[in-house]
Amino acid sequence: MRNMFSDAPRAALGACYWAFFLYLMVPLSLMMAMSFKDANFVAFPIGQWTFDWYVAVVQDKQFLDACLYSVLIAAATTAAATVLGVWIAMLIVSVGPRGQAVLFALACLPAVVPGMISAISLRIFVSEINLPTGTAAIILGHTVHGVPFVVVMALTRLRSMPANLVDAARDLGADSVVAFFRVTLPYLGPALFGGMIFCLLLSIDDFVRTFFLGGYRPTLPMLIFARVQGGMSPEINAMATLVLVVTVSVGLYAEFLTRRARTR
Amino acid sequence: MARMVRSRLYRSTLGAVIETRPGRLVLLTAVPMLWLVAMHIGPIYEMFKISLFAGYPVEAHAAAGLTLGSYAIFFRDSLYYQPLIRSFIFAFGATAFTLVVVYPVAYYVARIVRPEGRSKALLLLLVPFWAGEIIRTFSVIMLLANRGAINALLREIGLIDRPIPMLYTSFSLGFGLVYLISLYMLLPLYSAIEKIPSHLLDAAADLGAGPFTRFRRIILPLSRDGIVSGCSLVFLTCIGVFATPILLGGPSTVLFPETISVFFHGASDRWPVGAAFSLILLVSSLITVGIFMRLVGGRGTKV
Repeated sequence: MRNMFSDAPRAALGACYWAFFLYLMVPLSLMMAMSFKDANFVAFPIGQWTFDWYVAVVQDKQFLDACLYSVLIAAATTAAATVLGVWIAMLIVSVGPRGQAVLFALACLPAVVPGMISAISLRIFVSEINLPTGTAAIILGHTVHGVPFVVVMALTRLRSMPANLVDAARDLGADSVVAFFRVTLPYLGPALFGGMIFCLLLSIDDFVRTFFLGGYRPTLPMLIFARVQGGMSPEINAMATLVLVVTVSVGLYAEFLTRRARTR
Repeated sequence: MARMVRSRLYRSTLGAVIETRPGRLVLLTAVPMLWLVAMHIGPIYEMFKISLFAGYPVEAHAAAGLTLGSYAIFFRDSLYYQPLIRSFIFAFGATAFTLVVVYPVAYYVARIVRPEGRSKALLLLLVPFWAGEIIRTFSVIMLLANRGAINALLREIGLIDRPIPMLYTSFSLGFGLVYLISLYMLLPLYSAIEKIPSHLLDAAADLGAGPFTRFRRIILPLSRDGIVSGCSLVFLTCIGVFATPILLGGPSTVLFPETISVFFHGASDRWPVGAAFSLILLVSSLITVGIFMRLVGGRGTKV
């Protein structure tokens, strides 16, 4: 009797977990399944299955161009955000506690401002500094959004770093720049790499900033958004499925890396 | 690296700079401070500045005076303040719903799953996290459309003859918002619940507290940090969502970001109004989060 009482809540909570898992998975699975429908309209049940939509997608010039463009922007964003984020984190750990709190809040600000407001403010900012909308503006906007995440990742790792590592390097004659590149940066290693991939995916997934800062060349989310508004077709599903599979694999790999780094 | 450091060029440039204390200080501070001030505060400041202009771009012959006229427009027409109210209702609703739904899940992973299995249990839920706003929103359409999965299923088992219109309603928008944000609630709740030492619960059980009392007196208060940061994160994300209401909502569910975006299409002289509206949204949502933190934060919790 006692056992039953203590097991019932456990089972209920387990049911909650699996129900939530299903809730998260079902829409995405339906979207993937629909990409195999052998008809040019979107409707359940699927009936006939085909691979043709994937053949169409990999020959779709606009899609390939959008992939290239998204990756280019994400790579530039990640490079810039990593350098800036680590630099800011180095500054934060080197000042006193009160300065630390202020700088940390300032560094995290773009992650807290709601997406739409961030996009509008960047759109205005870009026009005030006479930067035309397009690739450079998008990269700038995505970098602003990505920096806080790199800062947080780098800070967590930096705070766990034994101070005597750098001291030892300095005693052995390394100046502060050398000590940074030879000791601090390798120590940040995997945690930083996880942060970089996070930044990369943040840029690839971003819609609202790109929408307001972009020119006529669409990134992946912009292309999918425009196609969805233009009318449903299983080709969009095939496109979205390809993007989904790639981003999820990269994201899980990054998660795996940071987790391993944390437990070490 | 060693060769670079020994080179004359390095010693006369970077090497010379970091020889001195002020040099090191400048190297460490200049770039980060410039970025933080220019790029983290700059855009918000420029937005504030533009919101006070009478027109944008500022014409040479126009008077350079500042005006609050753009803010006044907001209160004049229900076409403007209704969407803001609606944005708040949807954000509140989605946050509250997400908290109730995700809390048991976070609790399950943090306290009932064995420690070595926790990473895996969490990772399983993180899969859709990487799908991005547009793809996740698009996948909700597959579920709720007139020819979507739910209607097809209901028709198959003979419950309905014609599809129930679910898409482009408040329901589809709410569903989509919760689908978009629920994972932002999971991680803060999980890490807060996981940190609660289990000997506290054992002690309470030894003293005769039942499961409900243990939850109410120990788990809930001690996971308050997670509740506060999860709810704030989810609320602010909801407030700033732009694409989801366009794809899943209808004419009667226009949220405030869509209202703002109208001022940035074409006629550029409406920018001050758009800037003012964005600031109204930013300030009102930050105040809301601030009040929430005050109310729930209680003693001894810092966010």
